[in-house]
Amino acid sequence: MMAADPGPDRRAFLSGAALLALALGVPIAALELSPGDSPSARQQAILREACALVIPRSDTPGAGDVGVADFVVLALAHGLEDSRKPLTAELAARYTADVRSDLSLLHLEWLEAELDRRSGGDFIRRRPEQRHALLAALDRAAFADAAPVHPWRTIKALILLGYYTSEAGGAVELRYVPVPGRWDPDLPQTPDTRAISNDWSAVDFG
Amino acid sequence: MDFDAIVVGSGITGGWAAKELTEAGLKVLMIERGRTIRHQIDYDTETKAPWDMPFRGRGDTERYLRDYPVQMLNRQFNEFTEGHFVNDAENPYTTAEGTDFTWFRSYQLGGRSLTWGRQSYRWSDYDFGANLRDGHGTDWPIRYADLAPWYDKVEDFIGVSGAHEGLAQLPDGHFQPPMALNVVEQHVREAIRARWPERCLTIGRTANLTEAKPDEGRTACQYRSICARGCSFGAYFSTQSSTLPAAQRTGRLTLVTDAAVSGLDFDPATRRVTAVRYMVSGQQHRATARLVFLNAGAFNSVHILLNSASEATPNGLANSSGVLGTHIMDHANTLSAVALMPGFEGHTTFGNRPNGVILARYRNMDRMDGDGHTRGYSFQGGALQGTWTAGKREAGIGLDYKQKLRHPGAWRMVLVGFADCVPRARNRLTLDRSRNDAAGLPLLHVEFAFGREEQAALTQAKRDADEMLTAAGGRVIMGFDQPGPGGTAIHEMGGARMGHDPATSVLNRWSQAHDAPNLFVTDGAQMSSSACQNPSLTYMALTARACAAAVGQLREGRI
Repeated sequence: MMAADPGPDRRAFLSGAALLALALGVPIAALELSPGDSPSARQQAILREACALVIPRSDTPGAGDVGVADFVVLALAHGLEDSRKPLTAELAARYTADVRSDLSLLHLEWLEAELDRRSGGDFIRRRPEQRHALLAALDRAAFADAAPVHPWRTIKALILLGYYTSEAGGAVELRYVPVPGRWDPDLPQTPDTRAISNDWSAVDFG
Repeated sequence: MDFDAIVVGSGITGGWAAKELTEAGLKVLMIERGRTIRHQIDYDTETKAPWDMPFRGRGDTERYLRDYPVQMLNRQFNEFTEGHFVNDAENPYTTAEGTDFTWFRSYQLGGRSLTWGRQSYRWSDYDFGANLRDGHGTDWPIRYADLAPWYDKVEDFIGVSGAHEGLAQLPDGHFQPPMALNVVEQHVREAIRARWPERCLTIGRTANLTEAKPDEGRTACQYRSICARGCSFGAYFSTQSSTLPAAQRTGRLTLVTDAAVSGLDFDPATRRVTAVRYMVSGQQHRATARLVFLNAGAFNSVHILLNSASEATPNGLANSSGVLGTHIMDHANTLSAVALMPGFEGHTTFGNRPNGVILARYRNMDRMDGDGHTRGYSFQGGALQGTWTAGKREAGIGLDYKQKLRHPGAWRMVLVGFADCVPRARNRLTLDRSRNDAAGLPLLHVEFAFGREEQAALTQAKRDADEMLTAAGGRVIMGFDQPGPGGTAIHEMGGARMGHDPATSVLNRWSQAHDAPNLFVTDGAQMSSSACQNPSLTYMALTARACAAAVGQLREGRI
């Protein structure tokens, strides 16, 4: 299920990572992926599409517009949202084709195969409304699944994390108020009230 | 003598010792094992947004699992604050089989005063009298009246905001104006009071200023709730914002950082600690003083005393009683109840209040009404709205889903139970002779388990929390009665307990070693019982009191 030649994709990703590292002022080593964590071009395209379907562009940018897929790749490689945690043997048996030797999931391989399977062919070649319906069906199935871990639930969590902690998601779609300066314990909430992305107790415990 | 006094550690109590001793005219050396962090200058991540951080503020889980497997469990630990916590891989400790103890540590100038929860409560005579009443541990040699003026002094200086409630079990103090309860918390307070008049839910008493202290360069809280990154407003109490500048203003403080204390020298003929040994960049240093204050943090102060064994004190310094390291405690805590709170959909808040609520103890006070336990429990928590993170638990994709996550979500109320931890001899610190640290000293070994008293208290706490939130119109969705691992509350204490009798305790009523009158231990190690409210304010009050006693005895020529 791996791309035949991950070389060019890896180089493309690393050049992006180098720019990101420069922008953030961090060593590129912190962002570098090991060969097994570099997705193929097709896997990246499917992930980008999934991002755009989960959080589409509206009057604000969507998750497909602001590099969320790159963040998800990085996050999966570094185990955010417990994504590198080994599955139980019982659960791993459900995903035999897409688990590493340590029983952790290969999320992007799984996503590619699962969406293609649900498409009866090539997910990317489906019409936009079909892609939406296919992913919505996968999403419903994942949240109806009683298993403690589900690869789509993990991917979706990382898409949300990547989007709402991006500047577009955190400060354009939601409000970012770095220095509130006061505490109002009771204000009216109206249909226009936007959540504050740095309301940390809501983020941590909501 | 190089100095009049040496203070080991620069956290909450070390800062107080340095301030009080220098202000009394003493020439003081403060030794801190970690790096320097300058107020306002070195809070590197304070103003960064999530998108400024490589891992969006969450951090690199893979690296954390390798280097910070314990610290990453701390709710204050994240990519913004990781520099304020120890690297576990470089600072190991060992645990007994069956012990699960998460030891949260901050080795740096300011210690855990940079990362603490800031909740500041007085203890009462229900707490200081607890051991005498039920026979666990040893009787405290002090009572509330001994400490009350020192609580006043500490609150006035550090700045504690809170509401006066007139509760015997949670005495009022010298408070700045309280932060307000939010609309749901106010409702829950009233609903509980209507049915159980003796149960008081009040705003947390927190060392965050609601009124500026301009003379000390401290601004009122800006409601960011990112305290653990360091606060350039000086709005919460830390060594950097408060006690250290006071000590430095005297001109009598010498501060060394990156200097780990390896042991104390003791002269059995005079029964005095004669020197403090410490390592800087692999070089051994030695400093002498008339007084030594240990403020390294409860477990590390005990570790230093155990590592200071000599021919005259083979079981560790100040340990003729044999109880050094024993009777360690941490509050047993758990998420007692979470409830959805319908009916407040039209209400929201503005600002990030760095503070929650406390529901003061009400069991086993004048009537023994604990079910299987003799001590108290209290609750902390608060009401909050959901946000986009709730979307991780829900089905949905697309525009409607995005639109829903745009708005503040459903209200819920959380009550976390904190149970008094009974002091037990079997919960103890020892040296692990099989493993050494980088300086060649034996590692600290922790043996700890909660017992049936804490279990019974948390079982009753869960039942009560469920009942109270239901009575307030909530729908309880989860609740637990199993305590987290020891250390979860970050209130580890005991190990060098105070007591009347030198044969059964390490310290006297002045936090002064029975075996070495010029040695004072005024951090959490001195505690003889745990109460069920946060201990830091009490450590500070005991430190200020011990400093006055030490200076008095020094002037009288007794030490």
